[in-house]
Amino acid sequence: MSDALLSPKHLEIQKKAREFAREHIMPVAKELDAKGEYPWEIWKKIVDMGWGCMIAPVEYGGPGLDSVSVGLITEEFAYACLGVMTAVGSNNLSSYPVLLGGNKQIQEKYFKDLLAGKIAAFALTEPGAGCDAAACTTTAKKDGDEYILNGTKCFCTGGGVADYLIIFAVTNPDSKDKLSCFLVEADRPGVIVGNVEHKLGVRASNTTEIILKDVRIPATNLLGKEGEGFKMAMKTLDKARPNVAAQAIGGAQRALDEAVEYVKTRIDANGKPLAKNQFIQFKLADMAMKLEGARQLVRHCQVLKDLEIPYTMTAAMAKALSTDVCVEVACDAVEIMGYYGYSKDAIVEKIMRDAKIQQIYEGTNQVQRIVISGQMLRS
Amino acid sequence: MSYTLTEEQQLIQQNVREFAEEYVQEHISKIDASGEFPTEIVNQIAEQGFFGLLFPEEYGGVDAGFLSYILTVEEISRTCAALGSIMVNHCSLAAEAINRFGSKEQKEQYLPAMCAGEIIGAYALNEFCADPGYGESKVVAVRDGDDYILNGKKYFVMNGGAAGVYVVFALTNPENVENGMSAFLVDADTPGFSVVRMIDKMGLNGCPTAEIALENVRVTAANLLGKENEGMKIVKKLQPMFKLALAAQTLGIAQSAMENSIEYSKQRIQFGRPIGKFPAIQTMIAEMATNIHIGRLALYDTAAMVEKGEEYETEASMVQLFVNKIGQKTCLDAIQVHGGYGYSEEMAVSRLLRDVKGTIAIDSASELPEKIVAENIIGL
Repeated sequence: MSDALLSPKHLEIQKKAREFAREHIMPVAKELDAKGEYPWEIWKKIVDMGWGCMIAPVEYGGPGLDSVSVGLITEEFAYACLGVMTAVGSNNLSSYPVLLGGNKQIQEKYFKDLLAGKIAAFALTEPGAGCDAAACTTTAKKDGDEYILNGTKCFCTGGGVADYLIIFAVTNPDSKDKLSCFLVEADRPGVIVGNVEHKLGVRASNTTEIILKDVRIPATNLLGKEGEGFKMAMKTLDKARPNVAAQAIGGAQRALDEAVEYVKTRIDANGKPLAKNQFIQFKLADMAMKLEGARQLVRHCQVLKDLEIPYTMTAAMAKALSTDVCVEVACDAVEIMGYYGYSKDAIVEKIMRDAKIQQIYEGTNQVQRIVISGQMLRS
Repeated sequence: MSYTLTEEQQLIQQNVREFAEEYVQEHISKIDASGEFPTEIVNQIAEQGFFGLLFPEEYGGVDAGFLSYILTVEEISRTCAALGSIMVNHCSLAAEAINRFGSKEQKEQYLPAMCAGEIIGAYALNEFCADPGYGESKVVAVRDGDDYILNGKKYFVMNGGAAGVYVVFALTNPENVENGMSAFLVDADTPGFSVVRMIDKMGLNGCPTAEIALENVRVTAANLLGKENEGMKIVKKLQPMFKLALAAQTLGIAQSAMENSIEYSKQRIQFGRPIGKFPAIQTMIAEMATNIHIGRLALYDTAAMVEKGEEYETEASMVQLFVNKIGQKTCLDAIQVHGGYGYSEEMAVSRLLRDVKGTIAIDSASELPEKIVAENIIGL
């Protein structure tokens, strides 16, 4: 679905997101990257717009956005800064388990808080459990009306700024369904923010280790049932994939636009603008083709999701394709822009650094291929 | 993999590798984080004679041949690509320009000191900055009696700020870029010469890169390198050699990315086995190894052509075209092999991607390698 086919409602959301991102995110993106600072001011403004949690249901005061809308906002924010979008995105990702398995009371408080500016972080990965998410060793031991959590999570987006943590932990070590999912308030005793990652990119987002030392939580903070953790994690990633995919589209579009602007002004060795050079024209056409193809798949996936048509395979394809394209297009943009593109005077070097994580987080693109081939080959 | 290197070349390769591992390895994080010119290490490199590899003995060089130089650049870059960039800009561009086009006096004045690392050279060719407000930057040289007066700005001058001498390209006939550019040797302490600012870049931190300004810089005709209006001849002569040196850097970086990936794939356990057992990982590592091997064959073969004095412009661009693609892919895949850990600055592979993009992207002042190869082989 191209912009021309978007409904008036969607176009309006896109416009609102674009204006906001160009005014408030774009001008500070380089500085946030250089300092590795969390975008608090931007965050407050996003909260004021009612988008603190884009997927919060209307009944809890949420903005009532469908997947297409969330995707459009994500594209626009990512266009301005992939780091900011990564930071903001953690509230979406973390909310799926709450939607899937939280009781009404928990949902009500959680979404009210997020819409008021609180932050949630999704903590699945552990030092020994990356692609192999089921290898988690963090434990949750039932003790009367409580669970006691112990373990270490890593690469947790928003870990150091979060008010809520979504923690996956082992409740039934001997069962094949050993993982369970918990909502943990970050201010509970024993929740420790460990090592803060210094990353190649998306430096406006905060990524940390989360250490849990005898953290006691009420048993009612269990999301879903005991043993449903792995399934919930997979469902969550399934639902979040179209969002990561949309983010990659936004980042790639920015890189392409920057390259297009550049070639119009850059005079080559023969005294003509680079834009007149067919080598460059074809390169740009290739970038645009890949990007448009990926965009169509991503938006198609969002529509499937909104219509509640099964989209697992499409989402995995959209995530892997769009993030691969984003990295390729960003790399090509730097190359077209040469030494200027390599300098921090340009923005494309940042987009290239930022883009790379998208092939890794929320399921590496290798895992996406496992999902895709698994769907194709089953039966 | 023999690569048919001579014993001497293998020895040089071995020596440089040992030197880099022993003296450079421990400093790379600091060099990358600070971005400062690593003076002490550069001095050690000079003491080893690496800066003199390309140059005649009478000017303080060791004249070891182009392939030995390429092997050295590759090995240095395998450990620290920024150091490789310092060396390439110093040797392949600045010193080589003097070696090829300088008068006897100019060679005597500069080459021994450059081989010894007492003077670092920079090559000030780039002018384009897309920032709005950067303004007109063309460097123009106007004749004034026996002197020339230079005015203008240069952008993205590598080794800028650290260099003692700059090969500055200036228009002596502004009407005609192709036949109106001349090269001048400008000492850093010449009145009117200044470093405006250091330019931050994605990687290759430690090879300082500057914007420089020339304001009524007066140099004598003795500073003219080569003939007036023949600056483009220098640029064109040095370009293919520069491309090969960049390719050597790229391959050195890629080699390091591959070694890191192999090591990690043995240690990292997922789903109960080392990830190196999974075809997903094996595919990436097999492609890295294959591509690096083929790139190296082409690079060394072309370097041998340089030594034999054969025409090698086409091959140099072929090497650049191929190595750029596979160098980038290798470093991207190396991060992928490392997963989330690869994205952390604590892991070498994230730096290797930042560095390799530089050796791939910065040669944008020259024609695209596709164009050079195609035009040379089609011959229209």
